[in-house]
Amino acid sequence: MQSRLAIVDGIRTPFCKAGGKLKSVPADDLGAFAIRELLARTGIPPGEIDEVVFGNVAQPNHAANIARVLALKAGVPESVAAYTVHRNCASGMQAFTSAAQMIAAGDASILVVGGTESMSNIPLLYGPEMTALFQRLSKAKTFAQKAKALSAFRPGHLKPVVALEQGLTDPVCGLIMGLTAERLSREFGITREQQDRYALESHRRATRAIESGKLAEEIAPIPVPPAYAAIQQADEGPRPQQTMEDLQKLKPYFDRKTGTVTVGNASQVTDGAVAALVMSEQQARERGLRPLGYMAGYAYAALDGARMGLGPAFACARLFAQTGLGLDDFDLIELNEAFAAQVLACEHAFASSVFAQKCLGRDKALGELDPDKLNVNGGAIALGHPVGATGARLVVTLLKELRRRGLGRGLATLCVGGGQGAALVLEVE
Amino acid sequence: MMNALALLPPDEAGIAYLEIDLPGEAVNTLSASVMAELDALLHGGLQNPSIRALVVVSKKPGVFVAGADIGEIEAILNPDDAYGKSRQGQALFSRFAALPYPTIAAIDGACLGGGLEWALACAFRVATDHEKTRLGLPEATLGILPGWGGTQRLPRLIGLAQALEMILSGKPVSGAKAEEIGLVDALVPHEFMAERVREFTGRCMTRKGRARLCKRRGRHLAGRIWPVRTLILRKAGEHARRRSKGHYPAVEAILSLMESTGRGRLEQGLEREARAFSQVAATSVCRNLIGLFHIGQALKKERGTGAEVRELRTAAVLGAGVMGGGIAWLLSRHGYPVRMKDIAWEAVAKGFAQAADYYGQLVKLHKLKPHEVSLHMHRISGTLDYSGFASADVVVEAVVETMPVKKAVLAEVEKAVRPDAVICTNTSALPVSGMASVLEHPERFVGLHFFNPVNRMPLVEVIAGEATSPGTVASVVALAHALKKTTVVVKDRPGFLVNRILIPYLNEAGVLLQEGVGFERIDRLVEAFGMPMGPFALADETGIDVGYKVIQELEAAFSPRLQAAPVLDRFIQAGLLGRKSGGGFYRYEGRKRMPNPEAVRLLEHIRGGDWSDGEIVDRLVLTMLNEAAMCLEEEVIGRADYLDMALVAGIGFPPFRGGLLRYADDRGLSGIVQAMEALEQQRGARFRPCGLLRRMMEEGRTFYGG
Repeated sequence: MQSRLAIVDGIRTPFCKAGGKLKSVPADDLGAFAIRELLARTGIPPGEIDEVVFGNVAQPNHAANIARVLALKAGVPESVAAYTVHRNCASGMQAFTSAAQMIAAGDASILVVGGTESMSNIPLLYGPEMTALFQRLSKAKTFAQKAKALSAFRPGHLKPVVALEQGLTDPVCGLIMGLTAERLSREFGITREQQDRYALESHRRATRAIESGKLAEEIAPIPVPPAYAAIQQADEGPRPQQTMEDLQKLKPYFDRKTGTVTVGNASQVTDGAVAALVMSEQQARERGLRPLGYMAGYAYAALDGARMGLGPAFACARLFAQTGLGLDDFDLIELNEAFAAQVLACEHAFASSVFAQKCLGRDKALGELDPDKLNVNGGAIALGHPVGATGARLVVTLLKELRRRGLGRGLATLCVGGGQGAALVLEVE
Repeated sequence: MMNALALLPPDEAGIAYLEIDLPGEAVNTLSASVMAELDALLHGGLQNPSIRALVVVSKKPGVFVAGADIGEIEAILNPDDAYGKSRQGQALFSRFAALPYPTIAAIDGACLGGGLEWALACAFRVATDHEKTRLGLPEATLGILPGWGGTQRLPRLIGLAQALEMILSGKPVSGAKAEEIGLVDALVPHEFMAERVREFTGRCMTRKGRARLCKRRGRHLAGRIWPVRTLILRKAGEHARRRSKGHYPAVEAILSLMESTGRGRLEQGLEREARAFSQVAATSVCRNLIGLFHIGQALKKERGTGAEVRELRTAAVLGAGVMGGGIAWLLSRHGYPVRMKDIAWEAVAKGFAQAADYYGQLVKLHKLKPHEVSLHMHRISGTLDYSGFASADVVVEAVVETMPVKKAVLAEVEKAVRPDAVICTNTSALPVSGMASVLEHPERFVGLHFFNPVNRMPLVEVIAGEATSPGTVASVVALAHALKKTTVVVKDRPGFLVNRILIPYLNEAGVLLQEGVGFERIDRLVEAFGMPMGPFALADETGIDVGYKVIQELEAAFSPRLQAAPVLDRFIQAGLLGRKSGGGFYRYEGRKRMPNPEAVRLLEHIRGGDWSDGEIVDRLVLTMLNEAAMCLEEEVIGRADYLDMALVAGIGFPPFRGGLLRYADDRGLSGIVQAMEALEQQRGARFRPCGLLRRMMEEGRTFYGG
């Protein structure tokens, strides 16, 4: 990057379990709420925004180009353009990097970015047989034709296709995300107990962050429709009472017979949105703003989809090569917890020079991921993983923590379904 | 003189266009001179044998014909005059209807009253889908009925049930709805109206085309078959009487006219219509309703000052209670983004829930769709700090009604808003100038009194404090207009205008109760006078404790004339606070109300109060009148007619009486002063007529006549 991207401020909704408190808020409404709150808190006149860029994965049918829909609902003037970005779990980060590219290209100077996801509202679909039947029926004109079309119906046709599950399955390698984590657990020898222990720590850290009021600093309490009689203030995922015993009782979810990945040591299916105001560093200076922080570099990298959980290692290798930075240059690290097995596999991969030589094309290992620097306020296992929003949350969460601790530089990285990784350099001051 | 009607010579196909365009006017109306022009054309140009079809069309954007000239309706002197004018218009339209070629009304914009009656006299009607296209017969809302054939041609065209609905409610319908119910023969796109009307006219010019169009129209058998017809009439009558309560003669006149006509020969029906019209046109009810219509029009233009208006586009509300949430609802409903602040999230949630409740009511009434509600609700955001207040052009403070709290909050909010932001306080009783003392810039501070419930009460009082700048007043009045509220500018005196007049009346009802008059009897008499609900039913709605508190507050300012009736306190002590506590004077089961046995027991020991009905009503109404006259005397409000409108909108003073001061004029000031003097002697000094009333009586002046 030639010049840094100033991240003026960021805010998010509480993250709530799918089917939980925010189940009646569609993804566009979640994003709209986050933007309206961002605009109120930053005081930026909405007319001065050049573009809205938002990440979203499930892309609800009722809101094509969801970025445009949620921008209008948020009160952004209709003269401000908007587009949606999709790089699966990295969509929320993609919004930041796309904004940086637009600014670098001179296409925009002030943008609202973010990500949103309502996993509660991902629909069930009719299967191909039922769909074909409906198509034949709609073409049928006479009663006889209609009767014939209907006679093809079998009760089995009503079995729905779960779009959520389908969306989380890699159509190329054929594995659902949980099974890619199972692969990594075998490849790196990560036991069930190690995974559960990691998951427990995630809940502990998230609970501590809530109790100390840290997370409240990034959350805008949201009124809950349809009655609007309650306001959801906090994340729903973290379980203060979580015990190791309870985690160990859970059955493997994806590979029921021989697996290790459970719903307890995987990220939660969640609803939530994040929004941030970004501009060029120069623009921020001219306006006399003191930004929350800056994005100073980024890299995406790709790998075998069946090992997608190692994406952070690939992306960081590239980022370090580009920027000349090393793991030691970072004071804090957010590495998205898609699965405990996947985070632990990354720890091995980062530390292994064999892995570095074989897979990353570099002589030395990336370095040891220090648990005291990694995901210090818990991660998606406790807080949840609204796929389109998570990338943006990592940015906001990390910058706020760097600022609180008076530290300088952080690394936000995540793995991406389909076999990619993303890594961002974030700085304060 | 330029003509309003222009008949263009027929084109090669024989289609002539009659264009309506009143010179120098914003809208087309059917004044006597326009009718005379039409008469001349019927004798002249329209008889041109080369005309094979005629299209009637307006040259003004957004309006076809908005109705008869309202001034001419007011000028009707007596029933004979009314009958004559009705017959004249009918004859004109009948001759128009008898033209030997097809006539087509091409309606793009408002087509109301006489305008629709003319369109009904055309053989065919076409309407556009433009949002300004509205077709209706609003005569009943002015206390009259359509007198140029509307009550006859409409039911024959669209059936009795639909026609009754349109005529009794006076509500206009859109172009699409008009096409659906058969009021127009085709709906055409506004943008391509000329081509499509031409094409439609072509269809009307063939026998087959005409037959097909007429076949499309329903036969409306239901309205012709005796038992069904009776049922329709009874249902419509019940519905209309529930709202008119017998005070609006036009309702009865319409019902009996349409019962006895609508079938058989048109001419006979027209004659009866003219007779019915003559019975209602020259009445005081009609004059009063038209009077209020004029006051409403004048108030829409009134800003209270000549200062320039600054448009206020974004808002913030302080306090998320019933009022705060209601005000946030109102602002969001009309497109304003609102930031709503309170001191705890639970409180903010109440404000959101209040707004969602009001929106829910609109969805139930099919006035909004759920996705529209979601868009409106998105405009409201909640906060505990002052974030977002720097973007607000206007802040409405709606925290609890205690002076120290208000002062503290206002001093704080002034630091959080831009220097040019307008700050309003929503208060029903506290002095605005008193609050202004804590502000650094009191010139941008103004009272803005919304009435509860905000979604149903149409009135807003704008209260200029001593230091309030004219620009602030003008801008806030413009905002209130944009929120579709009837708005009056009043002086910063205790109780402002409406409560100052309402509260002594409520208290006098309490005094009567103390003297032994039953509350049911009082409510019944007041409702018979025309008020939407009696004082005790009203107290139940607003909360007896709330009302008593305001009485006590005003007592400080207006004692000895106002002294709180202690009997009300007894209700509060007994926990009977009104509807909110499950019952007050009455108990409620759904829509029904019945005397609360606990209330009856509380009053058991009181004996006496065998006053006449007349005295009871006088003691209540004249109490209000005396206070209203004092408000004029002290210039709390500048004009008598504005005061009347404020009471109609604020407390539901019966519109058919035209307002409280209009009522006084009608009854005669000398009689009123006498009645008050008698009451003064018998019941106490509070009835002493104020100086203005005496002076006006002595000088023979009236409130409306100068």
